[in-house]
Amino acid sequence: MHKRIAHASWLAVLCFGLASVSIATAASTTPPQGIRSKPASLKLFTNARIIVSPEQTIASGQLLIDSGRVVAVGESVSASPGAMRIDLGGKTIAPGLIDPYTEYGLAHVGRLYERRTQRTPKLDGTREGANAWNDAIHAQVEWVDRFRVSRKDAETWYKRGVTTVYSIKHDGIFRGRGFVANLGDALPNDEVVAAHALAGLSFDKGTSQQTYPRSLMGSIALLRQTFYDADWYRAASAAFEANPNQQMPEFNQPIATLGSYSGPFLIEVDDELTLLRAARIAEEFDLDFIYVGSNMEYARLDEIVALDAPIILPLAMPKKPEIASLEDERDVRLADLRHFERAPHNARVLHEAGVTIALTGHGLTKKEDFRKNLRRLIAAGLPEQTALAAVTTVPAELLGVSDHIGTLEPGKMANFAIYSDDLFAAKSDLYSVWIDGDIAHELLSLEAIDWRGDWQLTIDDQSYDLSIKGSRKKLTGTLGRDTTTVKLSNLSGELRHLHFSAPLDSFGTPAIVRVALTSIGNRLIGSADLPLGRVPATATRTGDWEPVADKTEAIVAQPLLSTLTFPNVAFGFETMPEPEDILIRNATIWTSDDDRGVLRNADMLVRDGVIRDIGENLDAPSDVRVIDGTNKHISPGIIDEHSHICISRGVNEGSHSNTAEVRIGDVVNSDDIAMYRALAGGATAAQLLHGSANSVGGQAQVIKFRWGKPPEELKIETAPPTIKFALGENVKQSNWGDNNRIRYPQTRMGVESIMKDGFLAAVEYEAAWDAYDELSRSDQARTVPPRRNLQLDAMLAIRNSEMFIHCHSYHQTEILMLMRLAEEFGFTLQTFTHILEGYKVAPEMAAHGAGGSSFADWWAYKYEVIDAIPHNPCLMHQAGVVTSINSDSQEMIRRLNQEAAKSVMYCGMAEEDALDMVTINPAIQLKIDDLTGSLVPGKDADFVIWNGPPLATYSTVEQTWVDGTNYFSRERDAALRVAVTIEKRALIQKLLGADSTGSAPSHSEQKMEKEWHCDDVQDVWHVRGR
Amino acid sequence: MFAAVNRIAVALVLLNALAAAHDQVPGEPQSEPILLRGGTLYTVANGVQAGTDILFENGRITAIGTDLTAPGNSRVIDVSGQHVYPGLIAANTQLGLIEIGAVRATNDITEVGTFTPEAKAHIAFNPSSLIIPTIRSHGITTVQTVPGGSLVRGQPCIMHLEGWTKEDAAVEYTDGIIMTWPGVRVSTGWWVEMTPEEQRENQVKQRLQLRQLFADARAYHDLRATGATIAIDQRFEAMRQLFLREQPLYVGANDARQIVEAVTFANEYQVDLVIVGGREAHLVVDLLATYKIPVIIGSITATPAHADDPYDTPFVMPQVLHDAGVPFAISKGGYWNVRTLPLQVGHAIAFGLEPAIGLRAVTLSPAEILGIDDRLGSLEVGKEATLFVSDGDIFDHLTRSVTRMWIRGRQVSLDNHQEELYRKYQEKQRQWPMLAPE
Repeated sequence: MHKRIAHASWLAVLCFGLASVSIATAASTTPPQGIRSKPASLKLFTNARIIVSPEQTIASGQLLIDSGRVVAVGESVSASPGAMRIDLGGKTIAPGLIDPYTEYGLAHVGRLYERRTQRTPKLDGTREGANAWNDAIHAQVEWVDRFRVSRKDAETWYKRGVTTVYSIKHDGIFRGRGFVANLGDALPNDEVVAAHALAGLSFDKGTSQQTYPRSLMGSIALLRQTFYDADWYRAASAAFEANPNQQMPEFNQPIATLGSYSGPFLIEVDDELTLLRAARIAEEFDLDFIYVGSNMEYARLDEIVALDAPIILPLAMPKKPEIASLEDERDVRLADLRHFERAPHNARVLHEAGVTIALTGHGLTKKEDFRKNLRRLIAAGLPEQTALAAVTTVPAELLGVSDHIGTLEPGKMANFAIYSDDLFAAKSDLYSVWIDGDIAHELLSLEAIDWRGDWQLTIDDQSYDLSIKGSRKKLTGTLGRDTTTVKLSNLSGELRHLHFSAPLDSFGTPAIVRVALTSIGNRLIGSADLPLGRVPATATRTGDWEPVADKTEAIVAQPLLSTLTFPNVAFGFETMPEPEDILIRNATIWTSDDDRGVLRNADMLVRDGVIRDIGENLDAPSDVRVIDGTNKHISPGIIDEHSHICISRGVNEGSHSNTAEVRIGDVVNSDDIAMYRALAGGATAAQLLHGSANSVGGQAQVIKFRWGKPPEELKIETAPPTIKFALGENVKQSNWGDNNRIRYPQTRMGVESIMKDGFLAAVEYEAAWDAYDELSRSDQARTVPPRRNLQLDAMLAIRNSEMFIHCHSYHQTEILMLMRLAEEFGFTLQTFTHILEGYKVAPEMAAHGAGGSSFADWWAYKYEVIDAIPHNPCLMHQAGVVTSINSDSQEMIRRLNQEAAKSVMYCGMAEEDALDMVTINPAIQLKIDDLTGSLVPGKDADFVIWNGPPLATYSTVEQTWVDGTNYFSRERDAALRVAVTIEKRALIQKLLGADSTGSAPSHSEQKMEKEWHCDDVQDVWHVRGR
Repeated sequence: MFAAVNRIAVALVLLNALAAAHDQVPGEPQSEPILLRGGTLYTVANGVQAGTDILFENGRITAIGTDLTAPGNSRVIDVSGQHVYPGLIAANTQLGLIEIGAVRATNDITEVGTFTPEAKAHIAFNPSSLIIPTIRSHGITTVQTVPGGSLVRGQPCIMHLEGWTKEDAAVEYTDGIIMTWPGVRVSTGWWVEMTPEEQRENQVKQRLQLRQLFADARAYHDLRATGATIAIDQRFEAMRQLFLREQPLYVGANDARQIVEAVTFANEYQVDLVIVGGREAHLVVDLLATYKIPVIIGSITATPAHADDPYDTPFVMPQVLHDAGVPFAISKGGYWNVRTLPLQVGHAIAFGLEPAIGLRAVTLSPAEILGIDDRLGSLEVGKEATLFVSDGDIFDHLTRSVTRMWIRGRQVSLDNHQEELYRKYQEKQRQWPMLAPE
């Protein structure tokens, strides 16, 4: 981490020696108005408990400051007799806290882009200056330029004991550079600690009104392309400088800024999976990322620890699930309860695993929750020293300002706060916040007495129990005797004087007494006014005040009840299953292999995740578990050519007509319960496809249903890249309403043109690279290189048969069009998906070599499927087309065997052929048939154990195995149902008493996904009025 | 490759040979007695009767038994080895109100407003829908077609899937009132536009609106019942059938909380309730059984309502209701996909439902719930000759094949638009070697 901030060597410029201090502070460029204020800056704090740093606390010591800096700190320091002495009487001095993620001083900026009222899509960016094409990119912005000092704004933080913040506008994807500033009242010029601090990133396009990106994968693609652009821009500028006799590259300020930035980026992520997604970008471009996390990191701890990157954790805790009402409880998921219980433990868990953590108040809606939640993290086991470091030294280091702030060591900026007790004590009151050696904000006078506690009050010769509570600023109290208690009115305590009134009727005196007391030594003396006259009153303290215990803190301190599973939702695995060596005996085996067919009374041997042998009466090695397959049927695992489950935040980028640069692989969601349900229906693999909202969609991802594994481990590494294309009504926006009439294309004619244009561009792109690659090294240095274009990379990969198209298609005309276009560019169209008129051109498809993946019986939902027929698979199959049946739905993926069986019903397909349509044929279409899709020795052991023939209506799945590993069985499922219920009940009991001040999203709010459909075009960044 | 016989095609050939071929042309009224000889009769009312004859005349079943004597002019059809079922009844569909989902011009499902009880499904029911013949060929003879909408939607109708006009096809023009119960579930998903507070507020508003509407309708009814002459309000007029308890109130309710509210409401307003959808009916079976509230299950092949629910919750729903003594029917809402109704039953059977109960759930049970069990829903003497013959078990898609169907004794074509296209493009494939470019 030290290495990571080493870039901040510019800080050395600011790092002055004490000798030069007076010169530096005198050197203000701002002319004074009226008389200059020059208070003495040499101050000695004595009799203080001093937290110098997380490592060092002085129980009773002295702190000497001058000219805004700590001069000396120790049990006793030598100070000039002229120093102003401040006796703290045992109070605590702690370093000013640092919040590394705020928008302080930028409130006046407002939205970067006003909300548009037009409903037509905004395809182009707002061009002003030589800015980026996309409004979510403003890497060139230096937020320090917009910094305004605001006492009102600062209050949020200084009341938490924070003296310094990092600030950047939380808007956009490339957000520009933030700054570090103190929270004092002086000019921005004086408050800035680091003017050019970390650059900020996120995935959220913020207030940008441009349509692109409208999905998480679109944002990731934009990040990736922009980083490539920055590299290109650097090279292009250098080449042009070396040789101006060529076309001048565009001037682009944000890209130029990005290209010259070498520091770490601060990137905000919503959950642990998105953190891992961000990490893949950091890895790809060799960048240092500091993550603003989500407190969901515990759920994928190993992967996150492996990143060896610091994480700034929000102190904001999740909203409390609605468990108070028996009725609303129905909507609460086990995952919500688990996360609510575990989020306060996240910081500890990360710390124990060796992750460097800082903390931020970002996301808190109530100021006081900052310290309250800090205490809760400590209650959850986070060591106090780590907690302190997380709000002082760690953020100072991450922000590159540790030479100046974070501790009270000599030479550091005199930023600190004075507390009545220990920094983390619940009863500790904050007196004042000192910035740059001056008192910046006084919340309570050091002189003020804490009246709270129990007193014995004597009025005349009557004795009462006086009890004072509340906050220092707003006292409440009671007067009592025996079992009688009355409330005090007009209670106030200023400096040394306390006064109040109370009705004495309940004590037998029909009057209101007014009391005024003054503190002298340990006693209070004064007088009480009664109808008969004024009498003496005295009080002595009998008990100290104790704050009301935080019930939630007590709950947090209890041992965790929830189980942590993979994924951390209902039906997850507490420990991941391992591959087993097994022999299935005496089963009916549907191999989906032409040579083997259906084997009766057969055995299958599985070892190391792979099928070793299939046949009759196999020898049983002694170390394998034997499963009796009598009356059971075994089939290959079902494979779905077309699915949209397991996708986070948007299935369609869909904003532009060609988005070949986006990748579903960037947004695989390993936590989707639809995966588990699909396993329960015998599915073991699927192609996760981009939607069909545009002509060239995004790159697809083929995964296996290794339920519990993180996204990267679901991917079938060897599956060749695939991409979604689409045709017809969706891409020409036929059913999108009248606001969508401007994006090209709006007809099937235009669909062909735009696709062709993409391939033509790819061919030119290849030629440009070829020409560049042929240049000598020295000529290359003098030649502006072609710009790496991720969209054209994909188009070119298609043209070169390195990436394969799965095309959403219905009409025969468009099917023919795309085959002819592919032929023109010399590649084969891999698979037409949906292809409901495939039967009309099945022989043509067979001649071209395209596969067809059909719905079994869908039709009539839009005009282009008016001629869809359930005999489509039969006719395609009959013509020699490799035919599969897909689900395109989280419902049907659970019973694709039935969907395949419909071809037996409608048009008499042989059962084995029908089964092939959901096993080996989709495997062929996805080019993973060397791995899976049929049961033959050497292939992955992906199979299903059924209680009857796999296509029969009345058969159900008993077990589903992937890679020789049992990921689903009805026995385990039955046990989990019980476990889920028990765990939910226990967690509800535990958490009922916790308070509901949480302000971070609940697990459901953050992690639940829509049931994505092909034509779902919601802009994921613009919901709830954004 | 195509070893298995194309059973439907063969059946059609047979049909053409034996009976007057009428490609989707409605059949003429029964003019001669028909005796189906030796089939396996799924009577529903009296169990499964193997090797039994069934005779129908003038559109009515006149005899069931072994070795029946055919009247002189009878057409006798040997159906031995085949299965004879009463026509399946698909409740809760939108068949006839919509042709193509995305084409607005073909959509007559939802009227404007939240209180449209005057909207009558039969008015818009299109008996010429291309979709209807594709439903029929799956054994479905009769449907309940319901209007859509957000609160009080309109009046369902019950139609046979055969007829020159909707008047020819009608079983019941109006069949109560259908409404959707106000939402109760608060969604916190990131994509949800409304905050939980806004959602709750909206729900409360809808509930209050609903109560007001029923109070107004009741007041109108009470005044009308006195014989007073008042201005006719079509909406309130339509509601009277509920208060007269002539017809039920069908309430679309999936969430258990909705169901409980609906039962309370129906009890308060003294109307006969049928729950439609019932995705969480399993959570409130005691209440439903106590008040004898029938449930028309919306779908068996649904996904569970909640992420934590067992994966098979919808699959086992019928068995749970049956065990608790709740009357229920199985339906599949929608239009083109209504033809998966047999699959819905088959899937429930796969997850443990007794086959006879499954059959009842799409025949006699819906007939009872819809109030047409005096005519339909079982093979019994005196009931309509609305029935069909299948080569195999109607719920097993590997064996079933509907070969003949009669609705009110009128023989029905089992051909459809899709079969026509299938034949046409089989022909294209035959010609392909001649068409194919070199």
